[in-house]
Amino acid sequence: MAALEVKNISKSFGDLKAVDNASFSVPKGSIFGLLGRNGAGKTTAIRMMMNIYMPDSGEVTYEGIKAGPDFNSKVGYLPEERGLYKKMKVLETLLFFAEIKGKKGRVVTKMAKNYLKKFDLADRMNSKIEDLSKGNQQKVQFISTLLHDPEVLILDELFSGLDPINTNIMKNMILELKEQGKIILFSTHVMSFAEKMCDHVAIIDHGKIKINGALADIKAERSHRNISLNYEGDISFLRNNPIIENISDYGNSVGIKVKQDKDIQLLLKLLIDNNVEIKKFDANDISLEEIFIDTVGQEVAQEVKHV
Amino acid sequence: MFNYRVIALIKRELREKLLSKAFIIMTILLPVFMFGIIGIQTFIMSFDSEKSVVEIIAESETIAENLKGVIGEWNFIKDSTVIPMINSMSQMEFDDYVNKKQTDLLSEKISGIIFIPNSALEDKKIKYYSKTPKNMRLLERIDNPINRVLVEEYFQSKNINPEELQYARMSVNISSFKISEGEEIKEEGYGNLILSYLFSFLLYISLLMMGSMVMQTVIQEKSNRIVEVLLSSVTSKELMIGKILGAAITGLLQMAIWISPVILVASTSWFMLPENITIDITFLQVAYLLVNFFLGLLIFVGLFATVGSIFEDPQDAQSGMWPIMLLVMIPFFISMSMIENPSNPVATIASMSPFAAVIVMPAKMAMVDVPLWQIVLSTLVNVATVFAIFPIAGKIYRVGIMMTGKRPSWGEVVKWLKYKY
Repeated sequence: MAALEVKNISKSFGDLKAVDNASFSVPKGSIFGLLGRNGAGKTTAIRMMMNIYMPDSGEVTYEGIKAGPDFNSKVGYLPEERGLYKKMKVLETLLFFAEIKGKKGRVVTKMAKNYLKKFDLADRMNSKIEDLSKGNQQKVQFISTLLHDPEVLILDELFSGLDPINTNIMKNMILELKEQGKIILFSTHVMSFAEKMCDHVAIIDHGKIKINGALADIKAERSHRNISLNYEGDISFLRNNPIIENISDYGNSVGIKVKQDKDIQLLLKLLIDNNVEIKKFDANDISLEEIFIDTVGQEVAQEVKHV
Repeated sequence: MFNYRVIALIKRELREKLLSKAFIIMTILLPVFMFGIIGIQTFIMSFDSEKSVVEIIAESETIAENLKGVIGEWNFIKDSTVIPMINSMSQMEFDDYVNKKQTDLLSEKISGIIFIPNSALEDKKIKYYSKTPKNMRLLERIDNPINRVLVEEYFQSKNINPEELQYARMSVNISSFKISEGEEIKEEGYGNLILSYLFSFLLYISLLMMGSMVMQTVIQEKSNRIVEVLLSSVTSKELMIGKILGAAITGLLQMAIWISPVILVASTSWFMLPENITIDITFLQVAYLLVNFFLGLLIFVGLFATVGSIFEDPQDAQSGMWPIMLLVMIPFFISMSMIENPSNPVATIASMSPFAAVIVMPAKMAMVDVPLWQIVLSTLVNVATVFAIFPIAGKIYRVGIMMTGKRPSWGEVVKWLKYKY
């Protein structure tokens, strides 16, 4: 059942339609990925969910109730552009952010200390924020989104600016939070993370939602007769081959669609016969990145035609 | 309006402001600084008149002799800030004498030479030769003994009894009385004038200080992107209210610290004040001052916060805040001008006009008895100003704090008012 629902929201800034009649829903206990290029409208959509921007039209509901200040206090929000009071101390910062969400007292202080321990910051409790490294500041910010024990986490560009180790810590943390039954929505333009973590995705481009649904369904719909291929060598001979419907180059991988199911085996044989070194050959599979580029790229192509 | 979010915001503001070095230093140092300035002024003034040698030359020998006899009665001669050298010579001799003394005058070995011709007995015209002939302080002082000698000499031949002479010698001595309703007429000292100066000055300093402090934090929150995190928890209205109240409470506390010594002096007899500096202030007046100041803080801190929200760069904000600076400065100068004439009609109008009322009314009240209806009207105007500007300020703030990038023009800011946010 959808817990968090975004219904037909739109927002314009002057002539620019930042978000155009966007709808999507986030089921309980799932991780939802809002995917799009830079400037596609992800942040604007998220800000409307958080009541930071008022939608020109449409609404956001949580468990059937229109989102407002009460909803906000149930959410942990990590904006794309992080910000903390530089002169405040770490623990003080955490307690302040919890307090404006309505949580204070000894229990919160204890929880804050636990989180700091978990993120290896226990000894920095009384340091000023400005004395911390960037990565540690990010950790403090992340803790501040969790400390009030929110039901929903909205994380804008969660992984931007994190090193691989911290990225891994975050990933585990999010999976742990999912186990606890929290609703998690994050936006990203890094498809590999989304593919590994999300149950549901929405792809937004030019303010419009292009694809929306369970990741498994979206993939199943598009993966039939599709081969995701990583290779070394020359595959130009496949062009004009009668078994091939089309070939899309995604940079990292190539997506090949064949005309009939049985052609898949034929294609594999053909590649081996032509001395192509195969690194990966996924039959009836498609990566999220391929879906994303197909969806977002097509429009770019169309736009060019119109000009 | 006062939910846990606003309270948390106010608490944070107070913690940040009250413990800031700027606040502590300003609160302690401002009074020290103000007394320091007065001290330095007195010091410099005592310095300039130290040991000026003045030659006084009278054409008539009797005048010179009489002058020698009486001049010692004056304090400035007694404490030898002025050392007189009295002689007599004719007009012709004097002209040569001045020429001879030119180097001494230029090197300021002697401050000046006064010549009293015989004609002075008819027209009281005397001459002063000096490198700095406009030394009013010296001339005003030396004027008195010379006048006395001339007057005595003049009336000597007129056969007038000494009592009448005594009367003629006296200068006018004005005692001022303040007329107020109800109370008996009291002799008015300088106390309330000083008080009025002091309040105007403190009000001015404090409004500007609190205002720019809040403006800085708004800009900081905006450029550090903290504001987005805050807005995910609180509404922009709550944020603004929290900020303004935080600053207003800080300002009020600071003002209370500043004026408590004044109230202490006024309400107790522990401190001996010179007779002409009596301070006449009632508890009700103090209460009014604080209420008025609080309203002023709401108005001006609100305006400063709004300006802060428009800009991202403190330097741009400096140039953007001049309209508000004028709203504080013009009333301040009106209050200052009122010290010369408290019933100045411009001041009377200003004391009941939006923005100016906050600053002008307290200064006016300290000097004259303002009718009650004017005080009530002035307060109502202040309250109305708060209610009039807040919806507009709130709207600009709402749009401004989330607006980054290019510095907006005033035209764009006006457009913001129509935005749906």
